[in-house]
Amino acid sequence: MSDDTPQERQAHRLHDADGEPVRDRPWIIRTYSGHSSPRASNALYRANLAAGQTGLSIAFDLPTQCGYDSDDPIARPEVGKVGVPINSLDDMHVLFDEIPIEKMNTSMTINGTAMWLLALYVALARERGVDVAQLTGTTQNDLIKEYLARGTYIFPPEESLRIIAEMYEYCLEEIPKWNASNICSYHLQEAAATPTQELAFALANAISLLDLIKERGHFTDEQFSRAVGRISFFVNAGIRFVEEMCKMRAFGELWDEYCRDRFGVEDPKYRRFRYGVQVNSLGLTESQPENNAWRILIEALGVTLSRDARARAVQLPAWNEALSLPRPWDQQWSLRLQQILAYETDLLEYPDLFEGSVVVESKVAELKRDAKAEIEAILGMGGVIPAIESGYLKSALVRSMSERMTAINSGEQIVVGLNRWTEGLPSPLLAGDDGGLFTLDESAIAEALGNLDAVRAARDEDRAQSALEALKAAARDGSSMMEPSIECALARVTTGEWAGALRQVFGEYRPATGVEGQKLGLGGDRVDDLRARVQGLADRLGHRPKVLVGKPGLDGHSNGAEVIAVSARHVGFDVVYSGIRLSPGEIVQSAVEEGVDLIGASVLSGSHVELAQQIIDGLRQHGADVHVVFGGIIPQGDVEKLKAIGVEQVFTPADYELIDIMERFVAIIEAGAASGAA
Amino acid sequence: MGDHAEGSALEELVERARGLDKHAVSRLIGVFEDSRPESAPRRARALDLLDTAAGGEASPCTVLGVTGTPGSGKSSLLARVTVEMLRAEPELTVAVLAIDPSSAVSGGALLGDRTRMRSPLDDRRLFFRSQASAAELGGLSPSSFQVCRLLTRLFRCVLVETVGIGQSEADVRHLADRVYLVLQPLGGDEVQFLKAGIVEVPDAFVLNKCDEPTAGRSYHHLTASLGLARPFDAEPPEVHRTSARTGLGVPELAAALLDEVATGTPRSHAEREPHFLERWVDDEWGRQGRRHLAEALGGAGAVLASAGGFDQAQQAFDSSLRAALAGG
Repeated sequence: MSDDTPQERQAHRLHDADGEPVRDRPWIIRTYSGHSSPRASNALYRANLAAGQTGLSIAFDLPTQCGYDSDDPIARPEVGKVGVPINSLDDMHVLFDEIPIEKMNTSMTINGTAMWLLALYVALARERGVDVAQLTGTTQNDLIKEYLARGTYIFPPEESLRIIAEMYEYCLEEIPKWNASNICSYHLQEAAATPTQELAFALANAISLLDLIKERGHFTDEQFSRAVGRISFFVNAGIRFVEEMCKMRAFGELWDEYCRDRFGVEDPKYRRFRYGVQVNSLGLTESQPENNAWRILIEALGVTLSRDARARAVQLPAWNEALSLPRPWDQQWSLRLQQILAYETDLLEYPDLFEGSVVVESKVAELKRDAKAEIEAILGMGGVIPAIESGYLKSALVRSMSERMTAINSGEQIVVGLNRWTEGLPSPLLAGDDGGLFTLDESAIAEALGNLDAVRAARDEDRAQSALEALKAAARDGSSMMEPSIECALARVTTGEWAGALRQVFGEYRPATGVEGQKLGLGGDRVDDLRARVQGLADRLGHRPKVLVGKPGLDGHSNGAEVIAVSARHVGFDVVYSGIRLSPGEIVQSAVEEGVDLIGASVLSGSHVELAQQIIDGLRQHGADVHVVFGGIIPQGDVEKLKAIGVEQVFTPADYELIDIMERFVAIIEAGAASGAA
Repeated sequence: MGDHAEGSALEELVERARGLDKHAVSRLIGVFEDSRPESAPRRARALDLLDTAAGGEASPCTVLGVTGTPGSGKSSLLARVTVEMLRAEPELTVAVLAIDPSSAVSGGALLGDRTRMRSPLDDRRLFFRSQASAAELGGLSPSSFQVCRLLTRLFRCVLVETVGIGQSEADVRHLADRVYLVLQPLGGDEVQFLKAGIVEVPDAFVLNKCDEPTAGRSYHHLTASLGLARPFDAEPPEVHRTSARTGLGVPELAAALLDEVATGTPRSHAEREPHFLERWVDDEWGRQGRRHLAEALGGAGAVLASAGGFDQAQQAFDSSLRAALAGG
């Protein structure tokens, strides 16, 4: 302002460096999306960008996340279901067709194969003639939370951390604006972590990663400070939005303190807590799903209201996420919410609203104190890896999940439309021809498979094979795998081949399950009655009824299945818990060898129909007569399909009462025993 | 269903189980786990059929006990070792019986060994079954012995996996021809191994997780404590060093187990039966039963000899005690 009467600086206005009143720039507005095929996803991205989205957030399908080609037998039921399948560099060309990657901020939710997807993105830039240094974005690449909550890890912790560290080392000079990884507390809250656990586990994770990067000795002190500045976070925001806002402030303050005190980072800009957010999906309900729209709005407030702890990028789920993948309209609706908040309201005109608030400061201090104690406990165990390998972190999360479910079961925690005010008028949002649900285009999936064959047929086979050999050699001798991966991408190596080569060198990881040592809030007369009924069955059958709980397919969200396993033991079943990432054939073999009475399969990936068919067919081939029930995010329309296949009961998120589920398990076996005896 | 129809169904089941059809083996195990009295004659008949089919020869099966504390990695180790054994010896057949503790409160159990044990699919040479210990002391399920009687007639090698070994968990040695104790490296000194009270029972030791940095020291502490704890051993027991994670020492351990299968001296069923009959009497009838067995019937061995089989001996004991009680 060149005026001779300097304008008075008002405390409630934002000012720029020259003292001019300004308005903040909005955060990056994204929608997490991708499905079916690179072509279909590309069309979706272009439509979303045209609608005012300012960044991309790419969802990959489970085979891509777990390092399998689309035509691998374990992958087939999952192709294109929860994201886009990417098999080779040719798919990347299609996915980003007509999207200027040099101007785009691209976030990729990719972990076990993060190095591969980054290599593909770099290779795409090279083939397009784009300067790699201009690329901006994030590879999620947080394996710790994969071991704990999400399940798409491939390699053991040590090797996974090496991959992450090599990506930081590569990006710092080559792609300076790229976030090589994104420390995620998001999935911890989805696994029912308390705010304290979310703070502590995520920060301990980041600290352990920096310890490792420092220890590798690849960076000078100056480089290391910049690397610290590249650490970004991906957090969750739940419905208790005041506490969530305080949690974000606590995150910022704690991170600043650890960066300064533990890592000696002098420049405050490298100590800034940079984070993106996807608000909570765990609390979204299948019953009265329209209420989720309000939940999403309130959760968005928790991460935007306070300027000092505001998210740099926000993506919101859709109101019908507990029912199915969102349709384009559902995503648009969530996008509009962000736009109204950012552009229509006065939110971005003010400095921090809570500075000096006694209540907020006290709450933040409490969260910081509790989180710090937990962080120190984890660091005392030797860091986050020992805490994972010993099962400490996982057990803590499984315990939180059972406490949450207990609180909802008992009505102590109110969830509107679920355990209070459950009577409601039918929702017109579900009344359309599509029932308010998204349906996948199967022909798009066939197209993805066709493209894979074409890539294999057209490539220079010698170049592909020598690229794979060079990758394995680097993996063995400890040199960086980043350039060899880029060469693999250029040579049209496929996703399954890249991961397969590293599986040969590193092996695959099986983590602690967390099913042991948790407390379950199931008690009272109904449990006693149920135990008596289970004992009655044991007397009648001559053996204690035995159930198998497992997760067929590639989705790794195992905590729900683990709570079911522990509940079943609690009421007196013998429970064979067989863990995650099982092929239907493995489930069938386990059930047959163990002579179980019932199989409880949990599927959250949307592949329940294919998986159920394969399990039932497998049991028939063995001539085994076993009850089968399914649980997971299963749309009402698929329940009848599953029953027609032979699944006796289907449990959806509406069935949240553990004791009800256990009573239905017992009733199924009782009915079977009665008809078998006739 | 009439007796005859049931008899032929059992015959068919036994025949299919001899071919190691998984579903048939599993259903037959169900007969041997069945706690109802009426299942005893079916067991006796099934064993009869199996022994007849084998031409009356005693089955050349070796039973190996593998035990260890929770967290020692024995399930992961067994998964690798069995696959290695089968790779090295194409004619071999192996059954794994993995026993986990039950909850004393609910009676239920969480059988988690399968999480670690990824069996190859559809290979009849390997069969895996979990059992709950049913809140019994001793580390075995009440039906573990029964199931072993079946499995030893079907497979060349039976591996019995139990949790922990202390005074009360040592029962596996009555079942197995040889007991392996799996340990993990400890942070401390030999006193820890001694205090654990676990080094006296096993025939051989496996120090797993030897990829960990403390393993070298732990190995020396372990061998030192063995010298202290077992002064009367003519030779120090074998100590294998393995890592289920990296595969270190797995081929060597597999070779040692194969060697035991090939040249060891398996106990006959008759040698194992008296202990398990005594245990069964104790479970069912307590002190009164034990006294009756010893004083009125001349001990387990005598009852087994005169009854002509384990199930028959159980029935004979049952009626004898009931008669005595009724008469008394």
